[in-house]
Amino acid sequence: MIPRYQRILFWSLVGCILLMGAFLLHGCREAHKRLTALNDATPLAAPTTAATEEVNLYLASDAEATIHSTRAQVALPQDPSLKARALVEHLLAQYALPDSTHPLQSGPSVDDIFLLADRTHQNSGGRITVNLHGSFADTHPSGIEVEQLTLDSIIGTLHAAFPEFTEVRFLVDGQTRETLAGHASLDRTYPLIDTTARPAAPSEAATQP
Amino acid sequence: MSCESKSFAPFLAVFLSRKTAFDDLRCVTASRELLYNPENVIHQRNHLPAAVAAVLLTASPLASQAPPAAPSPPKPQPALYRNLIVLDPAHGGRDKGAQLSASAAEKDVTLAFAQRLRPALVAQGFTVVSTRDSDPPDELETDQRAGMANHNRPLACIVLHAAPAGSGVHIVTSSLPASGPSAGRALTWNKAQAPAIAMSTRLANEVGLALDAAHLPVLMLRASVPPLDNLICPAIAVELAPLENTSKNATSAADTAYQQRAINAIAAGVASFRTHNAPPPTPAPAPRTGVAP
Repeated sequence: MIPRYQRILFWSLVGCILLMGAFLLHGCREAHKRLTALNDATPLAAPTTAATEEVNLYLASDAEATIHSTRAQVALPQDPSLKARALVEHLLAQYALPDSTHPLQSGPSVDDIFLLADRTHQNSGGRITVNLHGSFADTHPSGIEVEQLTLDSIIGTLHAAFPEFTEVRFLVDGQTRETLAGHASLDRTYPLIDTTARPAAPSEAATQP
Repeated sequence: MSCESKSFAPFLAVFLSRKTAFDDLRCVTASRELLYNPENVIHQRNHLPAAVAAVLLTASPLASQAPPAAPSPPKPQPALYRNLIVLDPAHGGRDKGAQLSASAAEKDVTLAFAQRLRPALVAQGFTVVSTRDSDPPDELETDQRAGMANHNRPLACIVLHAAPAGSGVHIVTSSLPASGPSAGRALTWNKAQAPAIAMSTRLANEVGLALDAAHLPVLMLRASVPPLDNLICPAIAVELAPLENTSKNATSAADTAYQQRAINAIAAGVASFRTHNAPPPTPAPAPRTGVAP
């Protein structure tokens, strides 16, 4: 005859084993989902020997809410679309570094960049369309300041590299999306301008009509 | 599709048109020259537009062709109600916004903030309309929020946000380029804020100065945040970010005492904006009596 307390202990241990098994299974599924989301399935261009060139990177700082321009040597492909994509990926990769002043999660960020020249109007420039990766938008920190700084950083960098283009539009996974992470609007066209900025302090003079 | 109609000239109609096959613009008829009502409209310091408006109203075809026995046309609605404020607590419903802490979602913090800001504004003599007073089951669309605010024609619209990162209070105005008030009678829906950018900047500076006086760190930003670009009234977004202390622990945006300091300053700033930009209407002079012919 097995004592009652031993039977209770046995079935309790069996219950614990089942719970732990379910917990492990759930954890494995979540990890698999996370890794799948970060997996970049975009085909890459064939490796070519690309000379490094000096580019202007417009880097954001969350603490000061500023964008400042720095020069960097980056190996870029010759094709303009690939060059733009490599440039923006390099820029966003800077934010995944441990000492970043505008920390973003690492992983694939840009799917494609299309450079659309406007041939209908002689004086107007073309448009750049940046197709962001869905996981980049999904994992981007939420907030007006941080989201706008990311957009301004991309806009300023593209403006410095492609001054002949005048506007930029953002897509996420090929679709229009209202905001980047709940705040900064993505359903409008932004002018490609120098976004070097420093926030102004409130002033008495600016309150006067 | 054209939104112009001369028969609407004396009225202060603001309407939104549906999308058509030819354009996807939503038109807001708001002829800034004509938006003037001496009784309760925002009073401009420069009285020239008012004089122009008065002349145009008098000389409008509707006024000149109306028969004398016909009932007088309906009283024009004011351009902006100088004592009305629209609050827009951002997010809500399935849209939780940012996760400020393990237990605080942005949608709840903005709603609580709006509910505390309302009595402070009422104490300053404002009537307050909020786009949401509870957490709705479905999220409010950006166009719904903007439509609600534009329909009420408030003195100012304040969009409330909260952030888990950053420092202090962020005052945000639209990043659209400013345009003149007489650019046309139809405004593009996505650029409806452009004529009001100058007023929005004044409002932001008034609130920023009040926050500065309350010893709260302020950042003045320009960004494209829904629904700022769609609003025709002076509009700002206020984003509460954590408040850094001398100790290592930052005060969260959900902190009630921190919110109350910001609320008092915002209410004072908006009241100052009303004083400087929309002074109370001066009573009409009493008719002279007893004058000998």
